[in-house]
Amino acid sequence: MGEIEQEKLTEAAALKTRELTVSMGPQHPATHGVLRLVLDLDGETVVKCTPHVGYLHRGIEKLAENRTYLSALPLTDRLDYISSMSNNIGYVVAVERLLGIEAPERAKFIRTIVGEMTRISSHIIWVATHALDIGAMTVFLYSFREREWILDLLEMLCGARLTVSYPRIGGVRNDVSQEFIDSLYKFVEGFDKRVDEYETLIDQNRIWLKRTKGIGVISAEEAVNWGLSGPMVRGSGIPYDVRKYAPYDAYDKVEFEVPVGKDPGDVYDRYRCRMIELRQSAWIIKQCIEKLPAGPVMAPDAPKFTLPPKDRVLKDMESLIHHFILITKGPTTAPKGEIYSSVEVPKGELGFYIVSDGTGRPYRMRLRAPSFIHASVLPRLCEGGLIADVIANIGTIDIVLGECDR
Amino acid sequence: MEFKKIIKTIFFTEILKGMALTFKSMLSPAVTRQYPEEKHPAMPGFRGLHALVVDPATGKEKCIACGLCAAICPSQCIYIYSTEGPDNKKFAERYEIELTRCIYCAFCVEACPVGAIVLTEHYEYTDYSREALYMTKEKLMANWNKYMAGPKGEEYFKKFWHPTADDYRAYDGQPMFRKREG
Ligand code: SF4
Ligand code: SF4
Repeated sequence: MGEIEQEKLTEAAALKTRELTVSMGPQHPATHGVLRLVLDLDGETVVKCTPHVGYLHRGIEKLAENRTYLSALPLTDRLDYISSMSNNIGYVVAVERLLGIEAPERAKFIRTIVGEMTRISSHIIWVATHALDIGAMTVFLYSFREREWILDLLEMLCGARLTVSYPRIGGVRNDVSQEFIDSLYKFVEGFDKRVDEYETLIDQNRIWLKRTKGIGVISAEEAVNWGLSGPMVRGSGIPYDVRKYAPYDAYDKVEFEVPVGKDPGDVYDRYRCRMIELRQSAWIIKQCIEKLPAGPVMAPDAPKFTLPPKDRVLKDMESLIHHFILITKGPTTAPKGEIYSSVEVPKGELGFYIVSDGTGRPYRMRLRAPSFIHASVLPRLCEGGLIADVIANIGTIDIVLGECDR
Repeated sequence: MEFKKIIKTIFFTEILKGMALTFKSMLSPAVTRQYPEEKHPAMPGFRGLHALVVDPATGKEKCIACGLCAAICPSQCIYIYSTEGPDNKKFAERYEIELTRCIYCAFCVEACPVGAIVLTEHYEYTDYSREALYMTKEKLMANWNKYMAGPKGEEYFKKFWHPTADDYRAYDGQPMFRKREG
């Protein structure tokens, strides 16, 4: 060995390596919005991961305090904006339980249908972006075809595509049309084939398997301790689903299965769970359409909380006065008290905690946002792994920052 | 079983399957809409640009400046300045909507007790200036004449002014699931 080479070797040994701190986000295409992760890296290994949230904070909880129960509804659209219908339903169900009113049967079935439609569209977006992040672009192109169909149907239903504000306290905004039912039935009948297509593309793909199996492993016990919900906890083998445990709307009248992964679950298990949920949702919609009963879509027996029909407002004084009071002051006969009610949104369990002081406005509204809780588990999933797997982990928790930051 | 797995690994069967699907969809018609040339037809009842109803009998607005739309508006973006008219009736001297803050929830339509405001199906109103997105009474009435005049405007309130009496009862011909013929 020459002298110069010897010298180089000692130089290399003397080089000190140290951890590198990288700020990933908030403007990173793979962080799904404005999530910022501060990563301490040792080479390619993540030593420490610190999520920073709050870039999308709009103070929705505070804003709701000076809106009446009726007009606070569109705020919930802006939580998880790709499944706004589910949030609306969560809010409406919570307020209905607080006020002690019940939506009519037909409205419940319609809500179940639209809730599952948004679950499909949300999961579709999830599989599209998750696959895109990991490197499979084709799924993205195919799945947006189906999402477009759903958005067109929502537009036909209520005139808006994303921020729907369709459910109302005591029912839904308007009845479904025959065209809507026919088109939706056609969609769900052919939907299983579409899911097959996505699966053909990625399910057995060796790159996909390498990038997802054994990544982001979390055991069932830990998942429960972290407070995870939705596909995150089901992927670890715990069949927890609010639709089964505390049924709201028409979920107790339809059959469906809760898919679970194995314990401990990884990114692939959660992917499988969501794919099965896509099929289950289509099945639920199919049953709901077949069983859809005739009847009113707004509660006829709760005149203190629902707007009077327009033809009566135009004609009779009583209704007009009532209309004025309900709109300017809100349902002032709301009982005092507090309520916690939760629904299953595509991301997990969305809870509304509402304190009522007997006025027409919520005294306090607190949200249990699944994305926020799932963001807290990110360090646990990422630390010790490679930096490339951080992307897979962000994808698997299906985070939407609108809901996380509120 | 093992043998099958080896064959799969060597011949990339799963990738070939994916490729076959890609090839198949290459031959099927494209679903992408070429937006500026090919426009998305808005469904009836689409919640787009606002318009103030013009009464065909008088040529004036129907609005009585009651302020209900401003009261329910979740983003508080409707401004009404009311005054007394020559016939001793209250009317809106200025009626303004800040479109940059509006969230198109159509609550104003629902709240109006006389049916004086609508959301039209027009959705291409982006502009470079804020002034263009600040709707005054004149602009809103011009919108009505432009997008909703005639039978379309008359039909609007029958169909899209909720809740209707039908929402509170079961009526004949309610949409139900029907088996497809044939
Ligand atoms: S559509 Fe909604 S946000 Fe817009 S002006 Fe009407 S009530 Fe306000
Ligand atoms: S609710 Fe109708 S009548 Fe009253 S101010 Fe608004 S637009 Fe005019």
